[in-house]
Parts: sequence; C-alpha cells; structure tokens
Amino acid sequence: MKKSLLFSGSAGLALAALALTMPRGDAPAQAAEPVDAVAASAYPERPLFGDTHLHTTNSFDAFGAGNRLSPNEALRFARGEEVMSSSGIPAKLSRPLDFLVIADHSDAIGVTTDLYNTAEADLADPVLKRWRNMLHGDRKEAYAVTREIIASFQSGKIPQDLIRPDRIAAMTRRIWDAQIDSVERYNEPGKFTALHGFEFSLQIKGNSIHRNVIFRDGADKARTVLPFPSQGTKGPEPLWSFMEAYEKASGGRMLAIPHNANLSNGIAFALTGPDGGPLTAEQARRRAAREPVVEVTQFKGDSESHPYLSRNDEFADYGDAGWENGNAPLSQLKKPDMFGGEYAREALKRGLLIEARTGVNPFAFGMIGSTDTHTGLATADEDNFFGKFSNDEPNPDRINTIINPGIAESRIGHQYLAGGLAAVWATANTREAIFDAMMRREVYATTGPRMAVRMFGGWNFAASIFAGDWVKTAYAKGVPMGGNLALGKGAPSFIVQAQKDPMGANLDRVQIVKGWVDAKGAPQEKIYDVVWSAPKQRRLVKGKLTPVGDTVNLATASYTNSIGAPELRTVWRDPDYKTGQKAFYYARVLEIPTPRWTAYDAVRFKMKPPAGAKLKDQERAYTSPIWVR
Amino acid sequence: MRDYLRAALKEPLVHFLLAGLALFLFFAWRGDSVDPESRTITITEAQVERLAASWAQTWQRPPTQAEIDGLIRDHVKEEVYYREGMRLGLDQDDTIIRRRIRSKMEFLASSELENEEPGDATLQAMLDKNPQVYAADARTSFDQIYLAAQDEAAARTRATQMLAALGTGADWQKLGDAISLPRSPENVDRARIAADFGDDFAAALAGLKPGAWTGPVSSGFGLHLIRIRSVQASTKPKLADVRQRLENDWRAQTVKAREAKAYQALLDSYTIKIAKP
Repeated sequence: MKKSLLFSGSAGLALAALALTMPRGDAPAQAAEPVDAVAASAYPERPLFGDTHLHTTNSFDAFGAGNRLSPNEALRFARGEEVMSSSGIPAKLSRPLDFLVIADHSDAIGVTTDLYNTAEADLADPVLKRWRNMLHGDRKEAYAVTREIIASFQSGKIPQDLIRPDRIAAMTRRIWDAQIDSVERYNEPGKFTALHGFEFSLQIKGNSIHRNVIFRDGADKARTVLPFPSQGTKGPEPLWSFMEAYEKASGGRMLAIPHNANLSNGIAFALTGPDGGPLTAEQARRRAAREPVVEVTQFKGDSESHPYLSRNDEFADYGDAGWENGNAPLSQLKKPDMFGGEYAREALKRGLLIEARTGVNPFAFGMIGSTDTHTGLATADEDNFFGKFSNDEPNPDRINTIINPGIAESRIGHQYLAGGLAAVWATANTREAIFDAMMRREVYATTGPRMAVRMFGGWNFAASIFAGDWVKTAYAKGVPMGGNLALGKGAPSFIVQAQKDPMGANLDRVQIVKGWVDAKGAPQEKIYDVVWSAPKQRRLVKGKLTPVGDTVNLATASYTNSIGAPELRTVWRDPDYKTGQKAFYYARVLEIPTPRWTAYDAVRFKMKPPAGAKLKDQERAYTSPIWVR
Repeated sequence: MRDYLRAALKEPLVHFLLAGLALFLFFAWRGDSVDPESRTITITEAQVERLAASWAQTWQRPPTQAEIDGLIRDHVKEEVYYREGMRLGLDQDDTIIRRRIRSKMEFLASSELENEEPGDATLQAMLDKNPQVYAADARTSFDQIYLAAQDEAAARTRATQMLAALGTGADWQKLGDAISLPRSPENVDRARIAADFGDDFAAALAGLKPGAWTGPVSSGFGLHLIRIRSVQASTKPKLADVRQRLENDWRAQTVKAREAKAYQALLDSYTIKIAKP
C-alpha cells in the first residue's frame, strides 16, 4: 500500500526533486517585457476579473490535502489551459481569468512536501517520523497531519527540527525563487496578469488575522525579500513594518488584503489598538495606508453582513451559516458581541466612529471577493466548484465533509461557498494598473458571477446623464466607487449601473447601503432598493420589495432567465440626507435565485442532499463604498 | 564527437539509462536473478470487473469501453511501478532506493527542465505545427442593435420587422432597446466579444460575413441585429512575439512527454497479458 502511494504522488516528488536540485545563482527565467508595451485607457473601460487568493502545492495544508499542482499549473489553468487536477480530473475554465495572485502561506512554506520526501531513517524526531508516514498514508491520514501541524503551531509544540531557521530559510528561498520564475513566465501584460504575492496567516488562539500581500513589482524587486511569516508576531503591525521596509529599500509597492474577518472572533476590525487601548490616529493612518481593500467573500463564507448586526436586512445572511459558529478551528465559539468586529458593513461604520474621535478612518476600505482555493484551481462558479482542498474535488461525499472533526458545532461541507472574484476597474490589464486600482479602491466583490457594476457619486447627477457618453461625464463631475466625495450642497446623488454576467443569471435588484453616525454618536445603517426588474409588477410595500420570483429546478440544477433584468441602472438621490452629514454608500446587486454547487453535485452524483444543505441562493456583488466626508 | 558526447550527457534519457545500468550492475553483483514469471502481468476478468464496479460507484454509471481500457492501463502502470519498487526493496528505505527515486524523478523533467532553454528551432517547429494557437485572434468591427427578449417570440417578430425597415433605409441608430453594451465595437478580438456578450454570441458572430444587416443573434442579454463592418484576419505570429508562451507550453508538454518516455522504458521490459470479460 505504502509503496504504490509513493508512486501515485509522483508529481509531488517531481516537484520536490526540482526544489531540491535547483541550483542557485543561475540567471532566472525572465520575460523581457517593457512596461510601456500596454497602453492605458484614459479611464477604466471594463472590469477585470481575477483571484487574489490561490494556494498551490507549496502551502503546507494544501499539500497535506493532496494538492500536487505547482504555480505553473495554477497559472496555466487561470489563463484558460487544461490541466490535470490533483485527483486526476482534467479541468479547464470555460472563461479564463484576467489576473491571478499566487498567495501561498508564508509560514512553513513547503514543509509538508519536504517532510514527505525525507526518508524515515533520516528523521530523528518521533513526531516528524509519524507525520511523515501519515503523509504517505491514505487521504484522511495525510490531511490529519495538516490539522496537527496547525494545532502544534498554535500551542507552540511544533517539533523544532521542522522549523529550524536555516532549514526554513533555505526552503523558503528555493520555493519563492521558483514561484517568482513561474509568475514571470506567465505574466502577459495586456492579456493576463500574474502578480507576485503570499499569504500572512496569523492565528491568535485560533482567531484569524489573515492578509494576502500583493506586489506591484516584477521579479527584480520581489526577489529582494522572502514571504514574511506570521510565526512570532502578535498582530499585523510587523507585517506593515516589513512592507514599509521593502518599499523603502526597493522603491517598490505592496498592499495587504485582510480576509476571513468572519473567523476572527471579533478581532479583525477591533476598536482597540494592539495595546488594548483605543485605536490611535497614528495606528489608524498606518492601517488605512497598508490595507485599502478587504476580501469579503470566498469559500469560507461571506463577511459583508450578518443578520445579528443588520436586523432590517432580509439578505444579510448570505454565506454566514456554519462560519458564524466560532473561530477557524472552533477552539472558541462565537459570542454575539464578537460579530461587530467581523463583518465589513459594521467595520465601515466603526471606521466613521473612529474617524470622529481621532480624525482618521482606519477602516476606509474597498471590497473584493476571491476563492482561497487550495487546489491550485481558481474556480468561482457554482457549476465548477472544485473544492476548498484537493480532497474535496468533485466527489459524492464532499457535501457531507465534517470540516471540524470532533466538534459538535462543526461546519459541514455544504456550507462552503463556491468562491468569489475580485473585479477591478483598471485602465489596463497590467500589474501596475491593477495594483493602482486597488489602492484607489476602484474595485468590487462578486460571489462568482461576472457582473459589470459601475457606481459614481456626485452632487448634481440626474437621470438625463444616460443620454450621452455618461461614464466620461461621471468621472469628470463625480467620483467612482472607492472615492471620497467632499461635502456639498443639497443631497448626494449616485449613478449605479449593473449589467448581468453575459453567461449568467438575470438581475433582481440594486440596493444602496448607507452607513452613518447619528447625532447621539450611534452608528446607523439603512438599505434602499433603488432599481429592480419588472417595476410595473413589483412594488415597495412598507419598505419591502415584492420578491423577484424563483425559476430554479432542483431536479436538473437549472434556472431560466424568464424573470429578472439583463441590466439595471438609475440615478438615486439620498432622500434622508441632512446637510453636512458624513456617510458611506455602497451598492449591493442581487441576481435572481440560481442553484448552488450543492444542487449541481446532487444532480451530478445522483444523490439526495443532506437535510439543512442550502441548494439555491441569490448571488451578488458588493461595490466599494463612496464616502461623503 | 566530443560535442556529441557532451550533448548526449545532457540528455536526461542518457542519465536514466546510465542509472539503470548502474542498478543492473549492482543487482548482478548482489546476485539477484530475474525471475521471468515476475515479468508477466496477468489481468483477470474478475479484476476488470472490480475496476469497472469501483468506477461505477463513483460516477453512478458503468464505464465505457474506452474508460475500461483506461482503467486497465492505469492498473498495469501501478503494478509495474509496484513490482519495480519491490524489486528494488523500496520498503526498506535504503540509499539505493533513494538514489533510484531521485534519478527517476530528475529524469521526470524537474530541475533540468526548469533550467533548460529550448532553442529557436524547437520553438519555431511548435509554432509551425499549431500557428492558430498562437496567432492573435481575428479582429472584428461591427454594429449591433439590441432587442430585449423577455418575451422571445415577440422579440423575434420585432427583429424581422426591424430588418425590413433597415432594408428600406431606416436609421439604425434610432432602433432597438436601451442597454449599455457598445453599439459599434471597433477591432475587437473574440475574447473581448465573449467577455462583453457571451461565448455563444462570439461563436455566432465568427460565422457572419461583412456587409448587410443580419440576425437576430442571441446573447446573454437578449437578441441583436448585426452588421459586420470589417474583419481583419488573424496573421501568423512571429516567433519573437509569442516566444514566452511557446516556451511555457514547451515546458508543460515536455514534462508530460518525458514522464511517458520514462514509463515506456520500464514498460518495455514487461509482457502484458489481459483477459477481458
């Protein structure tokens, strides 16, 4: 058994052989790409869709779960080539992505691969010996190693031999250099952008303080550093120092994207600083400068809103089930007072509160989605869900996977979402243009569908704007999503236009979410339905809009576009605005109901889905806010 | 001659054969004899049935003949590797095994392949074989009139009427329903058209000839009347323009090819007997 498995993991072995024998100091493969080869447009003309959060076999947990795909294969897949998945399924995206960030865990990068390839006799530590043999065992055993490593990291009982600094340093350098070479080879400005990046995955007693770090730069600068580990840190501040030092030394640029705030048990958007005291202006400034964008939707749930916080929002619970039970390993269950520090909408309100007190808003962030795939395959659609880990690649059992074994509140496989995408209003498909769009927050999140959503704020927009070349006018007379609109006369007006995914479902409605701090200093929110399909039939009754309907057929996992609209747009003026009020506004676009990946699985594998599994939902997009300030 | 030798020494297959020779000598010296019986792999009907049954359990349908053949091939491969592993005493984790695995894995493309640079001739040959893969798409300029199609039959009737009106000189700019899709895309490639209008629309458009108004063509949004203004055919790309892509593909293909070659070298020393039910 053991022997044949050794061979079945040949891709992993081949990779390891590569890593172990790659000579250093050779001229790295580098494409000669003049940066000016791609012309930038005067203003962003169309959204680019990409994934900022992909793990390859180099992430220790991905390898443990059976991922044998290198950065090369991940990049090939994202740009539309067919690759063989780790479980032996040929996979190809029907629509390639426009860009990809490989974001492997900086901590223990490559250690499981290395352990797998070390002979038992060469390991003195009994724990390492056991882990090594488990990695060669069946899928369950191999994956159990991942959890044991995470637990031992958290408890500080990790075998020292595994994280010996010289060993880690050499391995990290080897893997980082090889990754940089791959990313350079596949970066094709104007067509497909591959960005350098890594994930900083700090767990504080199981509470996630995770960041994806993205470089604006090419290999020459990226090579001057190594992915910064979270081990030994107590918060994101050392990461920011690392980023600052990198920029100073290399002249390059970096940004960090927080994610899975929903698994932080309230510490992701805390009102306090690292010392426990109220957040200071300086701390707020530093955070805002480093973290312009938050990833609010991905496989492990959606962090935009929660029904506990948004009692009047009938759509607030999207992607919350299961993930709301506690922190990532469920070592601490959730208490209601934690929600406020976890969900983006509440954080945006907290940002206003802190700004009122200190003059600086630490949570003035834009929103994107991504996948967090650990299979090397960036899939974000319901009908192509490849699973969070390689052992969850399409199979009849994954819907019932116990995600936190041995814990009563465990999440179940069907609670995974099929992943989101980052939509970016860039002026060109290049590293520089994508990075700059993120810095100015001209980005939005989708839960997978490629909807094109525009939003502008200004003081004098009227519906007549749609008669002409309105986008140009809107840029000239207002600010796009992510922008700051200086206080003005009257009430702010917003242009919002949402176009459906040309290959996807029609749209139900567009809503505008407003947040502000009232005269008593209490944060408030209100949701306005501003434009919807079939306006002659559907009316607002006591603030609630008639539902759009439902065409989902679960027997065939299908829907029809006989309801909803292909495009919705309007100019909306805030009817409740009080002169001088500071507020943020963002749009939420809802699709008509469509089958979830669970429904596709049920049909594909001819099985009865478990009770409690959600089988359909309304996918959506969240724009970055516009701040009136 | 010397150059030839140097080139040969760089060839991974030569490494592989040399490693094989070394192993052969080692085992010859150790005195292990090769039992011809252990070089025969027999697949029984029962085994084939088992393979098919386990496949059917996963996929909820019986495998096709081609899929059964694939399962058998895979099983034979596993058996060959397994026996090779046993023959080498792989379970004892000794140095010889580790070297053997290492040489095999090195052969499988890895480090050498990563650092190898394919020559111009190799890449040019790849390009000549599949120029369409690397060519920039044809670029199309067209006008489109959008018709909302919640009620498709009604929309088709309107489309027919509209086509007639266009034939008698109606101003196309004044026809159609409002939507923020580009009305007159200029020199756009197929990927761009697919991203804006959907794959099916892009495919349908590729079949249209320049000239008169035609349609309707369906998209994800509804129906469209189309007038192709011009099509700029794709041109054969120059090596310099697509070099990086060729090199990436060469690397990916060569990994697969070398893996297959390595397996074939082992497989050739076996006699395979298969009985199908």
